[in-house]
Amino acid sequence: MVIFKAVSKHYNGHIAVKNLNLNVKEGEFVTLIGPSGCGKTTTLKMVNRLVEPTEGDILINGRNIRDTDPVALRRQIGYVIQQIGLFPHMTVEENITVVPTLLEWPATKRRARGHELLDMAGMDPVIYANRYPSELSGGQQQRIGVLRALAADPPLILMDEPFGALDPISREVLQDELKSLQKRLHKTIIFVTHDMDEALKLADRVVVMREGEVIQEATPEELLRKPADDFVASFVGKSRRNDSKLLIVEQVMQPNPVTVLPSVGLAQCLTLMKRKRVDTVLVVDEEGVLIGGVSIETLDREHQRAYRIGEIADHNLVTVLNSTPAKDAFDLMVGDQLKYLPVVDEHRHLRGLVTRTSMVNAMASVVWGDEND
Amino acid sequence: MYNIWILTVQHLGLTLAGVGLAILIGVPIGYLITGNRWVAQLVMGFTDMMQTIPALALLALLMLWMGLGDTPLVVALLMYSLLPIVRNSYVGIMGIDGALIEAAKGMGMTRWQLLRMVQLPIALPVIMSGVRVATVTAIGIAAIGVLIGAGGLGAPIWRGMQQMNTAMILSGAVPAALLAVASDAGLSKLEQAITPRGFRNIASQNT
Amino acid sequence: MKMISFSQFLFMNSTAIITATVQHLYLALGSELIGCLIAIPLGIWLTSRKKLADYFLAVTGTIQTIPSLALLGFVLPLFGIGPLPAMIVLVLYSLLPILRNTYTGITGVNPSYIEAGTGAGMNSRQLLWMVKLPLALPIIMAGIRISTVYLISWATLAAFIGAGGLGDLIITGIQTADANFIIAGTIPTAFLAIGAGWMLGKVEMVLTPREGLIVSDEGR
Ligand SMILES: Nc1ncnc2c1ncn2[C@@H]1O[C@H](COP(=O)(O)OP(=O)(O)OP(=O)(O)O)[C@@H](O)[C@H]1O
Ligand SMILES: [Mg+2]
Repeated sequence: MVIFKAVSKHYNGHIAVKNLNLNVKEGEFVTLIGPSGCGKTTTLKMVNRLVEPTEGDILINGRNIRDTDPVALRRQIGYVIQQIGLFPHMTVEENITVVPTLLEWPATKRRARGHELLDMAGMDPVIYANRYPSELSGGQQQRIGVLRALAADPPLILMDEPFGALDPISREVLQDELKSLQKRLHKTIIFVTHDMDEALKLADRVVVMREGEVIQEATPEELLRKPADDFVASFVGKSRRNDSKLLIVEQVMQPNPVTVLPSVGLAQCLTLMKRKRVDTVLVVDEEGVLIGGVSIETLDREHQRAYRIGEIADHNLVTVLNSTPAKDAFDLMVGDQLKYLPVVDEHRHLRGLVTRTSMVNAMASVVWGDEND
Repeated sequence: MYNIWILTVQHLGLTLAGVGLAILIGVPIGYLITGNRWVAQLVMGFTDMMQTIPALALLALLMLWMGLGDTPLVVALLMYSLLPIVRNSYVGIMGIDGALIEAAKGMGMTRWQLLRMVQLPIALPVIMSGVRVATVTAIGIAAIGVLIGAGGLGAPIWRGMQQMNTAMILSGAVPAALLAVASDAGLSKLEQAITPRGFRNIASQNT
Repeated sequence: MKMISFSQFLFMNSTAIITATVQHLYLALGSELIGCLIAIPLGIWLTSRKKLADYFLAVTGTIQTIPSLALLGFVLPLFGIGPLPAMIVLVLYSLLPILRNTYTGITGVNPSYIEAGTGAGMNSRQLLWMVKLPLALPIIMAGIRISTVYLISWATLAAFIGAGGLGDLIITGIQTADANFIIAGTIPTAFLAIGAGWMLGKVEMVLTPREGLIVSDEGR
């Protein structure tokens, strides 16, 4: 249905896509995957002519898209952009039916279509049709982004990391919905992601890209069994090993958090916090046993009533053992909305600190691999 | 004595003529210069410069060129109103999230549809606040128009000042002040009214 | 009447032009100074009184919208003609930008700096002079710059009530349809406005501090 023939795209000297050849068949679900900046979005945008190829041709149903009016072309192709991009001044229903409006469908038909799609996505039209995007959750917004692409019933849909900004749970739900939708409606879908789990779960065929080139295109099973090279192997392997389930907090924490003794004076503590640029310190005794924590707000509030840090430390900190699985610690942080989580051993000796930064770093190294391996 | 009602209507008419022309010219300019950063800087710099010329001086210069009467006043009002209107149109349109433009194009909007369905509605509150500033300023400048023989509420104020006639001064100054204050209040109400609900939520979330 | 060339005109009227320019500066800058002396302390005082602040900002905002000729018309019966009523009007116009920027500048100071200051044992006076004012200064300066540029332009209107300044030349020019007078009044006004804006802009840049004290890393 969509054929790329030796397609390249250069941005003044920089090569974003290099000699891409690809044949997407009717009803097929193809995922493009690769590290950030490898040319996935560029490839997608060349299909609806938001970007013009420097070399090569793209054919849709045998017709070169260069010979098609870009506006007419785009109205026949569903498009979900990376940043969702719902129109803030339009209601949910108006957002979904933008393309039908452009195609000048009669109002009643548009309306019926909007409601039908909302129903299909499990969102009650009575409740949601007249809401504005800002009144929806992130997951609901992404659903509307997908529905908007389906509205005029286009045979081909382009999706650029449509579930990128979601928490893992909503993400799984939407993936399942999309998969069953595609089975039912027989759409041809080109789907960009940099999450290998997502690619393997959804795709009939996975296209792995790196630096503008296709490294391998294969079914998910083939990709797992016979990765073309080390790059693909590590890309698949990282995801399959599912490291985040095996890591323990000790491996992701920061080993040297800023600490003070309970006998330290308030002013001295403030100076230390300024110098280290932190807004919270942990209080430990001489043996290294964790006593509590002090935030700059507490320090500020109590500075007239207390002299020593020990007097104002918060003793009810949520802590975890150093052998806890990292995933549980992260769930705890996300669930309880903790800014930080001290890590202690069985004797309550402070071992380190998990912050949101360490969490993100750990997740990133699972997805993309450590910089130095 | 002066007929204050007629003068008030005249005053408002002159203001609306100047601001109306400025909208007709300024919004398209604001939109067109979004295409080119360099031209935008140039146009903004020029309109900025214009603002440092005192209204009285601009009126005087225009009088030399076009003679006495309403025409040079309306031209001066137009020139003064351009800055806030061009600037706010430009800022309002440029401030729109690029993702929205891309989504709109990707769904097959023509340039014109993009402007009408996305760019203008989102920029409208910002443009309207430019129109409000322009209108209030124009009401003030129109009062000075009396010096170059234009109509409006300036005449009783100016004559009253020369004859030291307080009643005459106030018969022009009070309605002029009320006109300005009422336009300001009315146009801010309008500004709020045309801000779409979905947008107000976002604005309040981001601040 | 025969028109004379601009250079001849300048030669014949140089004293008048210089006198008018000095008068003009005196009117505009004097009013600006008085405006600062009123609006800055007022703005500081209002920072801890939000309701009252909204009220004052609304009132000064309304004054700002009143046409200048009308405002001159209001003060003339009360204070007569001459520089005093003209300066009263100019001071009224200067209030809004300075007051608004002082108020928002101080209330907008990042609370973590204030916490750090209180934490270090500063009392409220020290907090104001050592933390809030220095951090708000660039914004206050911007208010001063904006109002100064406006006042220089508006001071031409002082001529309406016999306060002199460059507006005198322009009005004479209008009444005698003499381009020389109009230009001799316009060009110095524009230059003064642009020059003042440029100079105060420089001051503003010097006063803008480089980096904050505490960079609050997310919770640690
Ligand atoms: N308009 C542009 N001008 C210049 N270079 C560009 C432009 N758009 C993309 N590029 C470059 O082309 C390369 C590919 O970009 P592209 O957006 O396709 O990456 P991607 O695979 O979608 O990455 P990501 O996963 O981060 O979205 C990048 O190196 C990018 O910097
Ligand atoms: Mg991308």
